[in-house]
Amino acid sequence: MASVVPMKEKKLMDVKIGELPKWILMRDFTPKGIAGAFQRGYYRYYNKYVNVKKGSVAGVSMVLAAYVLFNYCRSYKELKHERRRKYH
Amino acid sequence: MLSRAVLSTVATAAPCVKNAALLGPGVLQATRIFHTGQPSQAPVPPLPEYGGKVRHGLIPEEFFQFLYPKTGVTGPYVLGTGLILYFLSKEIYVVTPETISAVSTIGLLVYVVKKYGASIGEFADKLNEQKIAQLEEAKQASMKYIQDAINLEKSQQALVQKRHYLFDVQRNNIAMALEVTYRDRLHRVYREVKNRLDYQIAVQNMMRRKEQEHMINWVEKHVVQSISAQQGGVAQRSFEVAVVTFLWHGCKFRAADVKVKILQKSSPPSLPQG
Repeated sequence: MASVVPMKEKKLMDVKIGELPKWILMRDFTPKGIAGAFQRGYYRYYNKYVNVKKGSVAGVSMVLAAYVLFNYCRSYKELKHERRRKYH
Repeated sequence: MLSRAVLSTVATAAPCVKNAALLGPGVLQATRIFHTGQPSQAPVPPLPEYGGKVRHGLIPEEFFQFLYPKTGVTGPYVLGTGLILYFLSKEIYVVTPETISAVSTIGLLVYVVKKYGASIGEFADKLNEQKIAQLEEAKQASMKYIQDAINLEKSQQALVQKRHYLFDVQRNNIAMALEVTYRDRLHRVYREVKNRLDYQIAVQNMMRRKEQEHMINWVEKHVVQSISAQQGGVAQRSFEVAVVTFLWHGCKFRAADVKVKILQKSSPPSLPQG
C-alpha cells in the first residue's frame, strides 16, 4: 500500500500524509535519540546560516524572532485580558 | 571484572612472569588497540561563501520557493498580509503599549542594519582575512624552512660525493713534501761528499805546494850558498841554468822568483833577500 520504498527510513518530506502516523511512531524516542535529534537540528541550522564566510543578520534574527513568538505564545494567557473587545 | 579476566589470561599465557599484579594497568591498556581503521583522507570541504538565503531577514527563501508553483510570486506576501490582518482582527495578537515599544525598537534595529550592515560586514571580513593571512604566512614560513632544510641536506649529501678531492689534495701534498725532503737530503749528501772530496784535494794541493816551496827554498839556499862560495865561472853559470830549468819544469810559477833571486845574488848585493 505504500510507494516503492525499501525501508521506512525516509525523510519527512518524502513521507506521504497517510503514512505520517506510522512514520512518526517509527522514530527513535529514547533520550539518546531525542538528544541526537536536537543536536542534528542545531547543526543543520548552524551550518546553513551561521557557519559561513559572509554571514548575515538573518542567522541571528530568525532565532530571536522564533524566541519572541515562543514567549508570546507562553504569555498569551495573561495577554488575553488586555483585549479591547471581548467578542470577535 | 574485565580487568580481572584480562589478568588471568595474561597470567596463564606468561607463566614465567613472577609478579602479574605489576602488569595490571599496563596490560589492560596493551590489549586495547586504538586507531585500527584508516583515517579519512578526504580533504575538509571549504566553508560556504554565503548562508542560506533569507528574505527580509526573517523568512527563508525555501518557503517562497515552496509556494511559487501554486501561487506565483505574490503568494507568500498575500498569505503574510492575510495572516497579519487575521491575527489583528481576531485579537490573537493583542495591541498593548508594548506593541508601540516593539515597533519603535524594531524600526530602529532595521534602520541600523540597513545603514551599517555592509560596513560592519566588511570590517568582519577584514579581520577574517588578517587571521587567514597570518596563518598562511606561518604555513609558508614553515614550508620554506623545511624546504631549506631539505636543500641543505641534499647539498651536504652531494658534498660527501666530492670528498675524494680533499683526499687527493692531501695525498698530493704529502707526496710533494716527501719529494722535497728526499731532494733536500740528496743535496745534503752531495754537499757533504763534495766537502770531503774538496778537503782531500785541498790537502793534496797544499802538500804539493809545501813540498815545492820547501824544495825551491832548499835549492835556492844551496844555490845561493854555492854561488856565494865560489864567485861564478862558466860551470857555475851552466849549473845555475840547469837548476833554474829544473825548477822551471818543477813549478812554473816560482821560476821567475828564483831567477830573480839568483841574479840578485850574482850581482852586487843590494838588498838582503827576505
